[in-house]
Parts: sequence; C-alpha cells; structure tokens
Amino acid sequence: MRHAHHTHGVRSIDHLAYTSGMGGWNPAFKTALALGTLVICLAADRPAVSAAVILALAALQKAKGGLALHDYLGLLRVPLAFLLLGGLAVACDLSRVPAGDWSLSLHWFYVCAGADSVRFAAALVLKSLGAVSALYLLALTTTACEFVGVLRRLHLPGLLTELMYLIYRFVFVLLDTHGRMREAAGARLGWRDFRTSCRSFGGTAAGLLLVALRKSRAYYDAMAARGYDGGLAFLEEDKPLHAPQLVWMAAFWAALILLRILTA
Amino acid sequence: MTNRQKKLVRLTACAALLCGALPAAGAMHIMEGFLPPSMCVLWGVLALPFLLAGYFSIKRTVAHDRRAITLVAMAGAFIFVISSLKIPSVTGSCSHMTGTGLGAILFGPSAVSILGVIVLLFQAILLAHGGLTTLGANVFSMAVAGPFVSYGIYKLCQRLRVNKMVSVFLAAALGDLLTYCVTSVQLAAAYPSATGGFFGSLIEFLGVFAPTQLPLALVEGALTVVIMVALESYARPELRAVGFEEGHKA
Repeated sequence: MRHAHHTHGVRSIDHLAYTSGMGGWNPAFKTALALGTLVICLAADRPAVSAAVILALAALQKAKGGLALHDYLGLLRVPLAFLLLGGLAVACDLSRVPAGDWSLSLHWFYVCAGADSVRFAAALVLKSLGAVSALYLLALTTTACEFVGVLRRLHLPGLLTELMYLIYRFVFVLLDTHGRMREAAGARLGWRDFRTSCRSFGGTAAGLLLVALRKSRAYYDAMAARGYDGGLAFLEEDKPLHAPQLVWMAAFWAALILLRILTA
Repeated sequence: MTNRQKKLVRLTACAALLCGALPAAGAMHIMEGFLPPSMCVLWGVLALPFLLAGYFSIKRTVAHDRRAITLVAMAGAFIFVISSLKIPSVTGSCSHMTGTGLGAILFGPSAVSILGVIVLLFQAILLAHGGLTTLGANVFSMAVAGPFVSYGIYKLCQRLRVNKMVSVFLAAALGDLLTYCVTSVQLAAAYPSATGGFFGSLIEFLGVFAPTQLPLALVEGALTVVIMVALESYARPELRAVGFEEGHKA
C-alpha cells in the first residue's frame, strides 16, 4: 500500500492527507499558515525567500507531518514539466538579429538568451516551487472535507459547499467504478493496441456517465430517506488551536519578511 | 465502426504517435506562483461574471427540482474523473483529457463554468495541477473560455446542419486549442519579452507548448466523438435527462 499509491494521482495526495502527522492540527490554522506563506513568498519575490520557504516547509512536512522525503520529492516533480517549459519561454527571446549573451540560429530567426533573463527565469521557477510547497502544506496535511469546512466557515454559499462535499465523495465512487471498468476491459484484451484502446476508452467513459447518472438518482433517494432537506451536516472532530503554534507561525513569517528586507 | 470513424481513428493514431513522444502531464494548468499577483486578480475578476451566471443558473435548477443537486454533483465528479484519465497513446506516456468540450456539450457552458471552479480547486489540492493563486487564470481559460467556445461551435455547426459527429469533434478539438491559446496569452501578458514585447512572448509560449497541445487537441476531439457515439447508441434517454439534444435546462 505504501508504494502502490504512487501510481494513482488522486488517491496518493488524499491518502497522504489522511495519514499526515499534522492531521490533528486545527484546519483553519493550517489553511492560514499555507495561504499566508504563499502570499509572503509571492509578494517578497526574492530567490532567498523562496528557497527559505521551500526548505522550511520540507523540514516541517518531514518532522511534523512524518512524510517520507522520497514521497515529497516525488510530488514536487509533478509541476516540473510546466515549470521547465514555462521557464524556457521566459528565459529565451526570439529575434531576427543575434542579441543577448547567447543566440542560437534557426535559419529564419534567432533564439537568444541573456544572463539577466536566465536569472529572472530561474528566480521565477524557484518562486513557483516555493508557492507549490505552500500549496502542498495545505494539500498534504488537510483533508478535502476539512478544507471545505473551512470555506463553509468563511461563509461560502451553502449550495457551493454542498456541491463540493458531494463532488469530492462522488469522485472516489466514480474512480472506483472506472477502475473496475478498466480492469474488465483489460480482461477482454481491450487495451491490446491503440485502436482497441480508443474504443475501450470511449466505451468506459460513456459507461461511466451512465453509472454516474443512475447512482445520482439512487444517492438522492438515500439522502432523502435520511431526512435530507437541503443541508448536509457532518460530524467534525474538534481540533483546538494551540498558542505555541501561533507563535511559531508569527516567528516564521517575521523571519521571512526580515529576509526580504535584508536582501532588498 | 463505420469507414469514416476508422479513418478518423487512424488519423488520430498518427497524431498520438507525435504526442506519445513527449511527457505532457497536465502541462497546461498554470502552476501555483507562476503569475504575478496583479495578473491573478485580473483573471479572477474577468472570470467572475461567468461564474456568477453559472451559480445562479445552478441555483435556479436546484430550486426548481431538488433532485438535481446529486445530478449536478455527479456531472462535476464526472468532469473531474474524465480530466484525470490517461489518454491511450502508443508509447504509454501520460496525457490527460481536459473534458471541457464534452462537459460543455453534455451539461451546457454555464453549468460547466461553476463546476469547473470546483473541479480546478480539487485538481489543485488533490492532484497538484494548477494552484490557488492561479485559480482565476485557470478558471478563465479552462472553465470559461474553453466551454463557451466549444458550445458556440457546437451550436453553430448544428445551425449549419453539419454532421453531428463532425461538430462534436470540432467543438472538442477547437475548445481544447482555444484553452491552450488563452493560457499562452495569459502567460505572455504576465511575461512580455524584452525585445518582441507581448506578441514575441506569445509566440514563444505558443511554441513551447505546441508539440504537446496540438496532438492532444486532435486526440481529445476524436475521443469525445467516440464517447458521444457510445452514448448515442446506448443512452439516449439519459442524454435527454442531462439536457443534451433539446435545449439545456441549466
């Protein structure tokens, strides 16, 4: 199980969030810590601050969350394809004449890059990784239901939070159903070659919609039978906020801001 | 399969070969922290009117018929799952569908816009695709521009009496392409190039993502057609229930 969840994107982060050592912390506190750090990292816009955020949050996830470093690094690789391509486009420049410090001739035009633009792109990728670390602090320690609970307390319209609760649960029902369909198709050599795969893909997706619609009716009946009248109430664990946590958060943010001022 | 469909599948197989050579796992979600704060706010504000329209339309649907709540939620979950499925490709790389075209054709663009926000939020916190600060920009490209254009193309093709499956293909493929163009515009507006300005930068962003996104759009179009063919043959009553065919209720 520990290694199996690597291959299922959706299940892996959800699984890690449920087993996180920081699961007992107050969800509103974790949301505030993650979002505050995210905003500071973006507003500071300094490589030193970004690096500090990346290192500090990785240490926190390891020490308090009990997350294996290997898992964490694996997850940080998710945005890498986008960051490298995006960073490449920011670093390079197209021009009809050679410009900057390096230029590569492509017959019709030149791809140029200057030391400044490369430095800018590297800082951008680092900043983005810092922001992703902050996002992971939320995603890997707080379950989606708790996060929706925080949104509910922030007075998001009831219809939206209700939809979120339902969608979150239905996603796993449908993933499970689709997994079975994939397996059934596989048992009939449905993924044998590309053409058959396309047919099976279309068939399973269409079948999934059918099952989803049928289940949606059954679930409404089940909810109505249990007294559903337009509001879903869940039992929420009481997770108290501890004063030292607030102090640590304030100290962390103050240190980041100080670092920003020192590197100005 | 008919001859036409066979040709279509062959054509997309060639495209998928190209696609399979490159890793493209959710490459078009703008990652967390990649946009400057002003741009995050700007795109969020631009997406807001569409979201409000979608919210009110869903609210009306649910007020009219309480049973619709689980149907709408299932539609959202379906879009999420479709967009997390790996597309079959010859070399086994992992590319994902966006599902925006299919969603817009099935459920209508205004419903998809609000479901899109929820799906994108869950993609950020469950899959690490996209992010919280870039949510506005991603919502604008994937939950507003893509679905509305897909739906527009689909309706236009119907008006012009184009073959239904061709119109589904065009709607899904062009909707996907537009999403990619809008994302490139967003990135270029945030990071205009030093010499070429906005347009120079736009060409660069379109260029770096083109090798993965162009074949993906064709594959998405073809798969959407395969899904619609299957639904048309087995699920006509259900299609009518979600609003496909005669006028959308949401």
